[in-house]
Amino acid sequence: MSFVVPMGDDVQPISLEELQKLKQIAERARKNVIRMLFYDQTIHVGSSLSSVEILTLLLSRARRDSRDPLNRDWIILSKGHAAPALYAILAEMGVIPKDELWKIQDINGLLQGHPETFIPGVDMSTGSLGQGLSFGGGIAMGIKMKGGNGKVFVIMGDGEQDEGQVWEAATHIAARKLDNVIGFIELNGYQLDGSVDEIKPKSYLREVWSAIGWNVLKADGHDITSLNAAIGEAVKSGKPSVILCNTLRGKGFPPIENTKKQRSSPDDARKYLVNA
Amino acid sequence: MMQENISSMREVFGKLLASLGEKYEDLVVLTADVGDSTRASYFRERFPKRYFNVGISEQDLVDFAAGMAVTGVRPLVVNFGMFLMRAWEQIRNTIARMNLDVKFLVTHTGYSDSGDGSSHQVLEDVSLMRVLPNFKVVIPADPYDVMRSLEVVVREKGPLYYRMGRDYSPVVTKDFSYEFRIGQSAVLKEGEDLTIVGAGVVLWDAMQAAQELERMGINTAVINLLSVKPIEKDFGVLRQEDGESGYRRGAQCLRWHRFSGGGGLGQALSS
Repeated sequence: MSFVVPMGDDVQPISLEELQKLKQIAERARKNVIRMLFYDQTIHVGSSLSSVEILTLLLSRARRDSRDPLNRDWIILSKGHAAPALYAILAEMGVIPKDELWKIQDINGLLQGHPETFIPGVDMSTGSLGQGLSFGGGIAMGIKMKGGNGKVFVIMGDGEQDEGQVWEAATHIAARKLDNVIGFIELNGYQLDGSVDEIKPKSYLREVWSAIGWNVLKADGHDITSLNAAIGEAVKSGKPSVILCNTLRGKGFPPIENTKKQRSSPDDARKYLVNA
Repeated sequence: MMQENISSMREVFGKLLASLGEKYEDLVVLTADVGDSTRASYFRERFPKRYFNVGISEQDLVDFAAGMAVTGVRPLVVNFGMFLMRAWEQIRNTIARMNLDVKFLVTHTGYSDSGDGSSHQVLEDVSLMRVLPNFKVVIPADPYDVMRSLEVVVREKGPLYYRMGRDYSPVVTKDFSYEFRIGQSAVLKEGEDLTIVGAGVVLWDAMQAAQELERMGINTAVINLLSVKPIEKDFGVLRQEDGESGYRRGAQCLRWHRFSGGGGLGQALSS
């Protein structure tokens, strides 16, 4: 399965069977992110749970196995603090050993607090916000230059849109018409210190991205079918596309869902996992 | 004292860059709207499809180059030293951390752009770039050093900071036949009593000072520290044939540089 289709064709819709499989991966990954709280209480659980479905869909459908940098897809987790979700899904897919999940942020473990390229399945070392879109743009340019068909997916947060570099990259990618870039902005409404609305409202995102020259799409960021349909639209558009994804911070974990809280106690995690 | 044979460092650089583009087809050049001022424009004229002006956006410049590097081309980022420092964090968090094969070839460093004033003069860059893991730092003394080192630098694997001036570049190394390699310095003048170690255009002044010192009876060596990082033991200048180095270990050492003391060349030497 892949997001690459002949010109004018639709990205293949998700069959019920595939959807069921992806939902199971997402659910197991969600639980494993919460389970990580037993081992480390400083991980960004809230932001990770906001990204689970997006990452599940991308990691399962994108072409990841090629050694050819030009004809594979790239997944850049620009909001690197959602690393636990990335790791949990990579473990579901057998890319990294599941045991490593329980050593998250351990100095002797593989999995650092933010993505590092020495971890299998990680395409860019991130953690400092605002840098993923530029990197993705560079990859997309390299691919175009040499006639490859790889696509570049960049996952950003709504708080991340504060970074000036995002706009340097957005205007640059639009100017070069890099239609192999597909960005995601998770509109979960929170950034580190509080709600996005209180700190710097982002109601302008649709208009500004569109004015710059991007194809702006919308999706339910927790609905795999909705996300896949938006990617389909993006692929057909012939423009760089950005998908504004409605998500919830802490999605599915009641103690923190839709709050600015990133984390909860191991006890809360235990209660949730027993009942789930 | 008159300075003779002054030619422009960036002119020599720009012409060489274009000729390297001919030789190495995987090279791409990126700049943040200073293509004319840095003479990267000479590359643009020859290879417009391999030349990327990203606009006045240095942070994007660095990470865009990083992205290109993972697709198998070799990016050369050409910019003013000062304005590249705006993106030091991007260099640290993406280029150095991922150990990417991206070269930073900068001009207008030190006081070489004296006319534009302090906003354009970077004295801190050597300190800032030396401390980055995986990075190498090379500083040519004059246009002849650019000619002997630029291709070596471009062929070197991994991230590297190459520090040039603008036009001011009195000739220092024209009459020397040494070849450049990473890690190695060059002895410009032998001496027993005092060793002056310098990097960049100040070596012209260092050579003048050494002549003055000779007249005062102080036998002075001058070392051109092209490779500020790494520095090989004994500057990598021990002569094969007689085991002599041209300077005496333990002689009084004087550092000469046109970048700030803390963390810069002085620190490099003492560590």
